[in-house]
This record gives sequence, C-alpha cells and structure tokens, in this order.
Amino acid sequence: MPRTHGVVKAEAAVAGGLPRLRHWTAWPWSLSRRNRLCLAGFFFVLPALIHIAAFKFYPLLQAFQLSFYRYDLMSPPVFNGLANYQGLWENPLFHQSFWVSAKYMFGVSIPEWFLALGLALLLNRAMPGRSFIRLAYFFPIAMSQIVVAMVWKFMYHPYGLVNTILEFFGAGRINWLSTEETALPALIAIGIWRGIPLFGVIYLAGLQAIPRDYYEAAMIDGAGAFQRFVHITIPLLLPTILFVMVISLLSAVKVFLNPLVMTGGGPSGTTRVLPYFIYETGFTYFRMGEAAAASTVLFVFVFALTLILLRLLRRGGVQ
Amino acid sequence: MNKKLLLWGGWGITLLTILGIGVTLLPYFWMVSSSLKTGAEVFELPIRWIPQEIQWANFPNALSRGSFGTYFFNSGFVAVVVTAANVLFCSLAGYGLAKFRFPFRELSFRLVLCTLMLPMEIVLVPTFLVVQQLGLVNSYGGLIFPLAVDAFGIFLMRQFIRDLPDSLIEAARLDGCSEFGIFWRIILPNCKPALGALALLSFRDNWDQFLWPYIVAASDALKTFPLGLAQMEGIDSAAYHEIMALAVMGMIPMAILFLFFQRAFVRGIALSGLKE
Repeated sequence: MPRTHGVVKAEAAVAGGLPRLRHWTAWPWSLSRRNRLCLAGFFFVLPALIHIAAFKFYPLLQAFQLSFYRYDLMSPPVFNGLANYQGLWENPLFHQSFWVSAKYMFGVSIPEWFLALGLALLLNRAMPGRSFIRLAYFFPIAMSQIVVAMVWKFMYHPYGLVNTILEFFGAGRINWLSTEETALPALIAIGIWRGIPLFGVIYLAGLQAIPRDYYEAAMIDGAGAFQRFVHITIPLLLPTILFVMVISLLSAVKVFLNPLVMTGGGPSGTTRVLPYFIYETGFTYFRMGEAAAASTVLFVFVFALTLILLRLLRRGGVQ
Repeated sequence: MNKKLLLWGGWGITLLTILGIGVTLLPYFWMVSSSLKTGAEVFELPIRWIPQEIQWANFPNALSRGSFGTYFFNSGFVAVVVTAANVLFCSLAGYGLAKFRFPFRELSFRLVLCTLMLPMEIVLVPTFLVVQQLGLVNSYGGLIFPLAVDAFGIFLMRQFIRDLPDSLIEAARLDGCSEFGIFWRIILPNCKPALGALALLSFRDNWDQFLWPYIVAASDALKTFPLGLAQMEGIDSAAYHEIMALAVMGMIPMAILFLFFQRAFVRGIALSGLKE
C-alpha cells in the first residue's frame, strides 16, 4: 500500500493527474532532486570517510609531525628538528633493513608474477577432475598467516621436513632460519608459496574474461599455440598482469608477521624488514619519533613505487 | 611425430599439476599428521607420514597450555564484529561511490584507494598512538575500531553495485522509497554474492588478526587465538605435536568455510582483482 499525502495529490492534480518526479518523501524538503541525491550519496560514503580520516590519514599526518620530535611515550615530546631523519640516515641498521625489504619485495613478487600466471594457464585448460584440482590449489587462500608461519617454522627445523627431504636427495642439513645466508631466502620461499594461489585466482578470472571467439578465429587463421598466447592472451591480459604486479609488491612490502614469529628479525638483522625495524624502534626501544620518521620514509617509498606502477597500469590499460 | 610430442606434453602437464598440488598441500598434510603424533614421532627418521597410533590427547593437552577458550572467543568475537562492520560500511560507501554524483566523489574514491597503501603493518606506530589518545589501548574497542572499514571491501562493493541497473533504483525512487530504504531493500538483496564474498574474506583476515592485537592487547584476557598460538612456542618449544594440534584447531573454521563457500571465496578475490 503506497503511502499518499495531500501535497502529492495536489501536485498530481496540477500536473494533470501524473505524479511529479520530485516526490514528497524527498528529504530535505526544500532541496532540488539533484541536490538531494548529492547529499544522499555523500551520507552513504561519510562513515567510511570518517573512519579513513581517523585511522589512516590522521595517524599518517601525526606520524609526520612526530617525526620531528623526540618522544618515548612517557615524557612529553621534545622538538628536535631533523635529528630523527639524520639518525636514520647514519644508522647502518636502517640501511640494512631497507635493502632487506627491497630484496624480499622483489624476491617474492617477481617469481609470483610468472608462477601464478603458469598456474592460471594450467587451471584454465580442460582436464579431468578440474574442479577438484582447483579446490586443491585454492585451498591455501583460506588459511591464516599465523598457521602458515608456525607450520613452516616447524618444517624449517634442523630436523624438520625440509631438511629430511633434501637429505633424501643428498644435501646436508641446514639450520635454515638461523643461518645468515638462508634465513631471508627461506622467508621468500614461503611468501612465493603463499602468493601463487592468490594471484592465480586473479589471473584465472582475467583469462576467463577473454572471449573464446578470438582464439577460434586465430586457429582458423592457422596461428599456433605460442602465437595465440603472445598475440591474444598477453595483450588482453595486460591490465590484469599489471594489477597483479602492483598488488603483489604492495603485499610483499608489508610483510612483518613471518619475520616476527619465525626469525625475530635475525640472524644479525638479515630478515629485519622495514616494518619490523619500525616496530622495534617504537615498541622495544620506545624511540617513537625515530619510528615515526622511519614510517614516513617507508610510506614515501611505497607511495612513489605505487605511483610509478599505476602510471604503467594506465599506460597498459590504454593500449 | 607431432602427435607423439603432444602426448608427452600432456603427460608432462599432468605430472606438473600433481607435483604442484603436492607442494601446495604438503605443509598442511604434514601439520595434520604431526598433530596426531607423539612428541618423539614428530622428528622420527625415516619420515613417518602417518602416525603409528593416533594421539587425540594432543588436542586437550594443547588447549590446557593456556586460556585457549578465551583466545578462541576473542578471535571469534573480533572477527564477527569487524566482519559485520565491514559489510555494512563498505556496502554503504560502495553504493554511494557507484550510484551517486556528488562533489569530491572522485577524490573520495582516490582517498579510499590510497589507504590500500597504508596497511596496518606500515602505519602500526601512528595508529597505536591514535588509539592510545582515544584511551582504547587494551580494550575490545581498541581491537575492533581501527579494523572496522577496509578499502578492499569498498572497492569490491563499488565494482559490484556499479553493474546493477540504474532502473532498479529509479523505479524504487518513483515508488516513494526513501534513499536508505532503497539501499536496504533494493541494493543489499541484489548484491548477495558480493556481500557473501566480502564477509568471507573479511572473516578470514580478522580471524587471523595477529599484529594489531599483538600491539594493542596487553592483558591475557584480550589475546586472540593467533597470539596464543605464537606464545605456545615460548612455553615449550619442543612440543611441536601440540603446537601443530593448536594450528589445526585454528585452521578448522576457515577450512570448513572454504569447503562450503569455495566459489564465493574465489569470486571475491576475482572481483576485487578486476580492474575498473
């Protein structure tokens, strides 16, 4: 039973029996339809904007401000200019962390780009038991990070599964997580292992969006499998490929849980990624100002990287 | 000649597929298997893939190592509340960004996307300071508020709602439905697939919350399951069979959800991955 109202009836009468577009439920009454819709849309977005402002941008600005102060959580902050940044610049541990993060980031994401694409191409083929195979490959997407970290720590144990299997092939035992040369590669391996199914799903969605006709037409023209891949799959998948590049780098730069739980940043800082460095500076040594300065540097780094990649993305999307 | 090559290629691909599944699932298999062994069997040589005698007692023993009842409750509670908040606020914002024109809409969307560059790992110290100023350290509020809106969720909902026909909304508007009524009665029921996917992904992420509780929850009564699992190592680093038993218990809720809603999981990730 639609609600009726005197105003509507009167308006309808004026308009010759047809209800006017601007309805009486219009709130606020005096605004035009266009303005009212403007306001409604804005109110829908408002809660999210407030949250983002309070828990993302305000902290960021505050961190930027704090990066010019000395602050230990106990006594009030003391202004000390650029001393925090200078301290970071002269701190060999910060330099080390920066390079550890860079190595981890590219070490994880570059193999992911190719292996995840391989997985998606594999799963896009018609083969018996395909739904079961997909289930098996995508299962790890649902798994939690902490479970993964504990299992791998167990497997990297000197007497754990990884060493036992390698021994079977004639290699010696390695204490993966406490040897300087192997700790970071061990973490990188976990990152790759974990990322492949995730990005595989994204690639697969991209592959399935490519119309079948293109391939059929190419086959009629006598194009081989490799030619079809290079001339149809790659160009049409390019936006997805670039998207995966951005997201994989962003998710690799924020890695923190695995070093924290598995290696404690060691041995000798070889797995102390930048987020770990910031955490340690802030919450272990209570040098909040320096931690804020390092946060700012990390954010600028991530921001610049994303900007470059987005520019690439746009260029790729235009083609 | 060509046929033979094709046949070998087919075999190669099959082999690769099986090998890949092995590498993908082996750690999980090893975890379940180890959780049912005795402490001595765990590192036994040669490898014992299947425990000789299944040790169910590992599970109660492991649970008694800490207040795991509390940890599981906390994880469940935080995950459910954060998921509900995410579903509500992200669909509201997604609808606003997808179907309305208002000044600064593009800017708002850009700002939302910008926060993808500000994950908790990167803004950990500043977020902690804000939560401290709000007096929320060591409280459920402190655990929940900073996680209540996620940019990925907004992005996902916007993508989905944008593809709903405008005529649906216009028709409701002509029928005298209020703007919020349109959202509640027309939009939400029409994006159940996206809502399901968002809820699943959000529940997974927040069931798994480690870092933020690690910083903000000081007392044992507020610890989440991941924190409890990580601290097990400090209690007895040799008890890997029990640690694995706990890991299995932490995995079970997500494993069940995944088996039932596999399609929604995959769709959610695919949806948030589709560009523009």
